[in-house]
Amino acid sequence: MDLSDEDLIRRVVDEGDQRAYAQLVRRYQSQLRFSLRQLCGGDQALADDMAQEAFIKAYKALPAFRGDARFSTWLYRIAYNLVMSHKRKNAPEVDQEAVDRARSQESVEESHQLGMARDLNSAMSALSEAQRQAVHLCMQRGFSHEEAASIMKLPLGTVKSHVNRARAKLQTMLQAWREDLVNG
Amino acid sequence: MDKFEQRKGGTDTLSDSTFQSKDPDFDSWLSQQLQFNEPYLDDDGFCERVMEQLPAPSRRAERRATCIQYAAVVAASAIVAWQFPFGEVLSEAARQSISLYSLIGLGILSSLAAMTGGILAARR
Repeated sequence: MDLSDEDLIRRVVDEGDQRAYAQLVRRYQSQLRFSLRQLCGGDQALADDMAQEAFIKAYKALPAFRGDARFSTWLYRIAYNLVMSHKRKNAPEVDQEAVDRARSQESVEESHQLGMARDLNSAMSALSEAQRQAVHLCMQRGFSHEEAASIMKLPLGTVKSHVNRARAKLQTMLQAWREDLVNG
Repeated sequence: MDKFEQRKGGTDTLSDSTFQSKDPDFDSWLSQQLQFNEPYLDDDGFCERVMEQLPAPSRRAERRATCIQYAAVVAASAIVAWQFPFGEVLSEAARQSISLYSLIGLGILSSLAAMTGGILAARR
Protein backbone atom coordinates (compact mmCIF):
# COMPACT_ATOMS: atom_id res chain seq x y z
CA MET A 1 0.00 0.00 0.00
CA ASP A 2 1.31 3.46 -0.90
CA LEU A 3 1.41 5.77 2.09
CA SER A 4 0.69 9.45 1.63
CA ASP A 5 3.51 12.00 1.81
CA GLU A 6 2.19 13.17 5.19
CA ASP A 7 2.28 9.65 6.66
CA LEU A 8 5.80 9.04 5.37
CA ILE A 9 6.99 12.37 6.76
CA ARG A 10 5.44 11.54 10.13
CA ARG A 11 7.32 8.23 10.17
CA VAL A 12 10.60 9.93 9.33
CA VAL A 13 10.23 12.65 11.94
CA ASP A 14 8.63 10.66 14.78
CA GLU A 15 10.32 7.31 14.34
CA GLY A 16 13.54 8.21 12.51
CA ASP A 17 12.42 5.78 9.80
CA GLN A 18 14.81 6.31 6.90
CA ARG A 19 13.05 3.73 4.76
CA ALA A 20 10.03 6.02 4.75
CA TYR A 21 12.25 8.79 3.42
CA ALA A 22 13.61 6.45 0.76
CA GLN A 23 10.03 6.05 -0.45
CA LEU A 24 9.69 9.81 -0.76
CA VAL A 25 12.98 9.98 -2.70
CA ARG A 26 11.81 7.26 -5.08
CA ARG A 27 8.47 8.99 -5.50
CA TYR A 28 9.92 12.35 -6.53
CA GLN A 29 13.38 11.62 -7.95
CA SER A 30 12.37 11.39 -11.60
CA GLN A 31 10.26 14.55 -11.64
CA LEU A 32 12.75 16.60 -9.67
CA ARG A 33 15.77 15.46 -11.67
CA PHE A 34 13.94 16.13 -14.94
CA SER A 35 12.93 19.62 -13.77
CA LEU A 36 16.45 20.44 -12.60
CA ARG A 37 17.95 19.23 -15.88
CA GLN A 38 15.91 21.90 -17.59
CA LEU A 39 16.89 24.47 -15.01
CA CYS A 40 20.58 23.55 -15.36
CA GLY A 41 20.48 23.99 -19.12
CA GLY A 42 20.85 20.28 -19.84
CA ASP A 43 23.81 19.59 -17.53
CA GLN A 44 22.56 16.23 -16.24
CA ALA A 45 25.41 15.62 -13.79
CA LEU A 46 24.93 19.00 -12.17
CA ALA A 47 21.15 18.52 -12.06
CA ASP A 48 21.54 15.14 -10.35
CA ASP A 49 24.02 16.59 -7.83
CA MET A 50 21.61 19.40 -7.07
CA ALA A 51 18.68 16.98 -6.73
CA GLN A 52 20.74 14.81 -4.37
CA GLU A 53 21.69 17.82 -2.27
CA ALA A 54 18.07 18.97 -2.22
CA PHE A 55 16.86 15.61 -0.89
CA ILE A 56 19.56 15.60 1.81
CA LYS A 57 18.80 19.18 2.81
CA ALA A 58 15.07 18.42 2.88
CA TYR A 59 15.72 15.41 5.14
CA LYS A 60 17.69 17.51 7.62
CA ALA A 61 15.01 20.22 7.61
CA LEU A 62 12.09 17.80 7.74
CA PRO A 63 11.40 18.29 11.50
CA ALA A 64 10.82 21.97 10.72
CA PHE A 65 8.40 21.17 7.87
CA ARG A 66 5.04 22.36 9.12
CA GLY A 67 2.93 21.05 6.28
CA ASP A 68 1.65 24.48 5.23
CA ALA A 69 2.59 23.60 1.67
CA ARG A 70 2.71 20.27 -0.10
CA PHE A 71 5.95 18.33 0.37
CA SER A 72 6.61 18.53 -3.37
CA THR A 73 6.31 22.34 -3.35
CA TRP A 74 8.64 22.56 -0.39
CA LEU A 75 11.14 20.18 -1.99
CA TYR A 76 11.09 22.11 -5.26
CA ARG A 77 11.63 25.36 -3.37
CA ILE A 78 14.74 23.90 -1.72
CA ALA A 79 16.02 22.52 -5.04
CA TYR A 80 15.42 25.74 -6.95
CA ASN A 81 17.18 27.74 -4.22
CA LEU A 82 20.17 25.42 -4.45
CA VAL A 83 20.37 25.70 -8.24
CA MET A 84 19.97 29.48 -8.22
CA SER A 85 22.59 29.83 -5.52
CA HIS A 86 24.93 27.51 -7.46
CA LYS A 87 24.35 29.53 -10.62
CA ARG A 88 25.17 32.76 -8.80
CA LYS A 89 28.41 31.33 -7.41
CA ASN A 90 29.53 29.43 -10.50
CA ALA A 91 28.17 31.47 -13.34
CA PRO A 92 31.36 31.48 -15.44
CA GLU A 93 32.13 27.83 -14.76
CA VAL A 94 29.33 26.08 -16.58
CA ASP A 95 30.54 22.68 -17.74
CA GLN A 96 30.01 23.34 -21.41
CA GLU A 97 31.29 19.92 -22.38
CA ALA A 98 28.67 18.24 -20.22
CA VAL A 99 25.98 20.49 -21.67
CA ASP A 100 27.05 19.73 -25.24
CA ARG A 101 27.24 16.02 -24.47
CA ALA A 102 23.74 16.08 -23.01
CA ARG A 103 22.41 18.10 -25.93
CA SER A 104 23.92 15.78 -28.51
CA GLN A 105 22.43 12.87 -26.60
CA GLU A 106 19.11 14.68 -26.57
CA SER A 107 19.26 15.29 -30.29
CA VAL A 108 19.82 11.58 -30.89
CA GLU A 109 16.84 10.80 -28.70
CA GLU A 110 14.80 13.54 -30.30
CA SER A 111 15.36 12.10 -33.75
CA HIS A 112 13.30 9.13 -32.59
CA GLN A 113 10.48 11.24 -31.27
CA LEU A 114 7.42 12.18 -33.19
CA GLY A 115 7.26 15.55 -34.88
CA MET A 116 4.86 16.85 -32.25
CA ALA A 117 7.30 16.21 -29.44
CA ARG A 118 10.14 17.76 -31.40
CA ASP A 119 8.11 20.86 -32.18
CA LEU A 120 6.96 21.13 -28.58
CA ASN A 121 10.57 21.01 -27.39
CA SER A 122 11.56 23.64 -29.95
CA ALA A 123 8.65 25.84 -28.94
CA MET A 124 9.57 25.50 -25.26
CA SER A 125 13.17 26.39 -25.97
CA ALA A 126 12.00 29.53 -27.77
CA LEU A 127 10.56 30.81 -24.47
CA SER A 128 12.56 32.84 -22.00
CA GLU A 129 14.06 30.94 -19.05
CA ALA A 130 11.48 32.33 -16.62
CA GLN A 131 8.57 31.62 -18.96
CA ARG A 132 9.78 28.09 -19.53
CA GLN A 133 10.08 27.45 -15.81
CA ALA A 134 6.67 28.96 -15.10
CA VAL A 135 5.02 26.81 -17.78
CA HIS A 136 6.94 23.75 -16.61
CA LEU A 137 5.85 24.17 -12.98
CA CYS A 138 2.24 25.17 -13.67
CA MET A 139 1.31 23.17 -16.75
CA GLN A 140 3.62 20.17 -16.54
CA ARG A 141 3.95 19.68 -12.79
CA GLY A 142 0.48 20.95 -11.92
CA PHE A 143 1.58 23.47 -9.30
CA SER A 144 -0.77 26.40 -8.77
CA HIS A 145 0.40 29.90 -9.69
CA GLU A 146 0.88 30.60 -5.99
CA GLU A 147 3.02 27.50 -5.51
CA ALA A 148 5.08 28.30 -8.59
CA ALA A 149 5.59 31.85 -7.33
CA SER A 150 6.77 30.50 -4.00
CA ILE A 151 9.16 28.05 -5.69
CA MET A 152 10.56 30.61 -8.13
CA LYS A 153 10.61 33.33 -5.47
CA LEU A 154 8.78 35.70 -7.77
CA PRO A 155 5.69 37.83 -7.18
CA LEU A 156 2.45 36.06 -8.07
CA GLY A 157 1.62 38.60 -10.77
CA THR A 158 4.96 38.05 -12.46
CA VAL A 159 4.44 34.30 -12.60
CA LYS A 160 0.94 34.73 -14.01
CA SER A 161 2.32 37.09 -16.61
CA HIS A 162 5.07 34.60 -17.54
CA VAL A 163 2.53 31.82 -17.91
CA ASN A 164 0.17 33.96 -19.99
CA ARG A 165 2.88 35.18 -22.31
CA ALA A 166 4.33 31.71 -22.70
CA ARG A 167 0.90 30.25 -23.32
CA ALA A 168 0.22 32.83 -26.04
CA LYS A 169 3.55 32.09 -27.73
CA LEU A 170 3.07 28.34 -27.54
CA GLN A 171 -0.48 28.64 -28.78
CA THR A 172 0.74 30.42 -31.88
CA MET A 173 3.71 28.16 -32.46
CA LEU A 174 1.76 24.94 -32.01
CA GLN A 175 -1.45 26.04 -33.72
CA ALA A 176 -0.85 23.80 -36.72
CA TRP A 177 -0.75 20.70 -34.51
CA ARG A 178 -3.95 21.66 -32.79
CA GLU A 179 -5.68 22.30 -36.09
CA ASP A 180 -4.58 18.87 -37.27
CA LEU A 181 -6.02 17.37 -34.13
CA VAL A 182 -9.31 19.24 -34.42
CA ASN A 183 -9.67 18.46 -38.14
CA GLY A 184 -8.74 14.83 -37.57
CA MET B 1 9.95 21.71 -42.45
CA ASP B 2 8.43 21.43 -39.00
CA LYS B 3 5.13 23.08 -38.36
CA PHE B 4 6.81 24.94 -35.54
CA GLU B 5 9.23 26.63 -37.95
CA GLN B 6 6.39 27.67 -40.22
CA ARG B 7 4.83 29.48 -37.29
CA LYS B 8 7.94 30.68 -35.54
CA GLY B 9 8.13 34.00 -37.37
CA GLY B 10 4.82 35.14 -35.94
CA THR B 11 5.74 34.99 -32.25
CA ASP B 12 7.55 38.29 -32.08
CA THR B 13 4.52 40.24 -33.15
CA LEU B 14 2.20 39.07 -30.40
CA SER B 15 0.08 41.85 -29.03
CA ASP B 16 -0.87 42.27 -25.39
CA SER B 17 -4.41 41.28 -26.19
CA THR B 18 -3.12 37.84 -27.14
CA PHE B 19 -1.80 37.34 -23.60
CA GLN B 20 -5.27 37.80 -22.21
CA SER B 21 -6.85 35.14 -24.39
CA LYS B 22 -7.84 32.10 -22.37
CA ASP B 23 -8.30 28.76 -23.98
CA PRO B 24 -8.88 26.03 -21.43
CA ASP B 25 -8.82 23.40 -24.20
CA PHE B 26 -5.37 24.55 -25.22
CA ASP B 27 -4.22 24.54 -21.60
CA SER B 28 -5.29 20.96 -21.01
CA TRP B 29 -3.95 19.87 -24.40
CA LEU B 30 -0.59 21.51 -23.67
CA SER B 31 -0.43 19.98 -20.19
CA GLN B 32 -1.15 16.57 -21.65
CA GLN B 33 1.51 16.96 -24.32
CA LEU B 34 4.12 18.18 -21.84
CA GLN B 35 3.41 15.33 -19.44
CA PHE B 36 3.18 12.73 -22.19
CA ASN B 37 6.55 13.71 -23.62
CA GLU B 38 8.34 13.65 -20.28
CA PRO B 39 10.48 10.54 -19.88
CA TYR B 40 10.59 8.68 -16.56
CA LEU B 41 14.14 8.85 -15.25
CA ASP B 42 15.27 5.53 -13.84
CA ASP B 43 16.51 5.62 -10.29
CA ASP B 44 19.85 4.18 -11.43
CA GLY B 45 21.36 4.22 -7.92
CA PHE B 46 20.22 7.77 -7.21
CA CYS B 47 18.13 6.81 -4.18
CA GLU B 48 20.98 4.73 -2.70
CA ARG B 49 23.40 7.63 -3.07
CA VAL B 50 20.99 9.93 -1.26
CA MET B 51 20.34 7.43 1.52
CA GLU B 52 24.06 6.84 2.05
CA GLN B 53 24.59 10.51 2.75
CA LEU B 54 21.73 11.03 5.15
CA PRO B 55 22.74 11.68 8.76
CA ALA B 56 21.86 8.90 11.21
CA PRO B 57 18.39 9.29 12.72
CA SER B 58 18.36 10.93 16.14
CA ARG B 59 18.70 8.60 19.14
CA ARG B 60 15.54 10.07 20.61
CA ALA B 61 13.53 9.05 17.55
CA GLU B 62 15.11 5.58 17.63
CA ARG B 63 14.36 5.16 21.34
CA ARG B 64 10.77 6.24 20.78
CA ALA B 65 10.40 3.73 17.93
CA THR B 66 11.85 0.95 20.13
CA CYS B 67 9.51 1.84 23.00
CA ILE B 68 6.52 1.73 20.64
CA GLN B 69 7.60 -1.70 19.36
CA TYR B 70 8.05 -3.11 22.87
CA ALA B 71 4.72 -1.67 23.97
CA ALA B 72 3.01 -3.32 20.98
CA VAL B 73 4.60 -6.70 21.80
CA VAL B 74 3.68 -6.45 25.50
CA ALA B 75 0.09 -5.49 24.61
CA ALA B 76 -0.19 -8.40 22.17
CA SER B 77 1.21 -10.82 24.79
CA ALA B 78 -1.21 -9.49 27.42
CA ILE B 79 -4.18 -10.10 25.11
CA VAL B 80 -3.00 -13.63 24.38
CA ALA B 81 -2.43 -14.32 28.08
CA TRP B 82 -5.87 -12.93 28.92
CA GLN B 83 -7.57 -15.22 26.39
CA PHE B 84 -5.42 -18.29 27.03
CA PRO B 85 -7.17 -21.07 29.03
CA PHE B 86 -4.40 -21.59 31.60
CA GLY B 87 -6.70 -23.45 34.01
CA GLU B 88 -7.74 -26.03 31.48
CA VAL B 89 -4.18 -26.55 30.28
CA LEU B 90 -2.89 -26.99 33.83
CA SER B 91 -5.60 -29.45 34.78
CA GLU B 92 -5.06 -31.39 31.57
CA ALA B 93 -1.30 -31.41 32.25
CA ALA B 94 -1.96 -32.72 35.75
CA ARG B 95 -4.23 -35.43 34.38
CA GLN B 96 -1.57 -36.42 31.83
CA SER B 97 1.13 -36.43 34.59
CA ILE B 98 3.25 -33.79 32.80
CA SER B 99 5.71 -32.03 35.06
CA LEU B 100 4.52 -28.52 35.93
CA TYR B 101 8.09 -27.19 35.79
CA SER B 102 8.75 -28.45 32.27
CA LEU B 103 5.40 -27.04 31.18
CA ILE B 104 6.19 -23.59 32.61
CA GLY B 105 9.70 -23.71 31.15
CA LEU B 106 8.33 -24.58 27.73
CA GLY B 107 5.78 -21.77 27.99
CA ILE B 108 8.40 -19.19 28.94
CA LEU B 109 10.75 -20.28 26.15
CA SER B 110 7.96 -20.15 23.55
CA SER B 111 6.90 -16.70 24.75
CA LEU B 112 10.47 -15.41 24.59
CA ALA B 113 10.93 -16.83 21.09
CA ALA B 114 7.66 -15.26 19.91
CA MET B 115 8.50 -11.88 21.45
CA THR B 116 12.01 -11.85 19.98
CA GLY B 117 10.63 -12.78 16.57
CA GLY B 118 8.01 -10.05 16.83
CA ILE B 119 10.58 -7.39 17.78
CA LEU B 120 12.99 -8.46 15.04
CA ALA B 121 10.19 -8.39 12.46
CA ALA B 122 9.06 -4.96 13.64
CA ARG B 123 12.61 -3.56 13.45
CA ARG B 124 13.04 -4.88 9.93
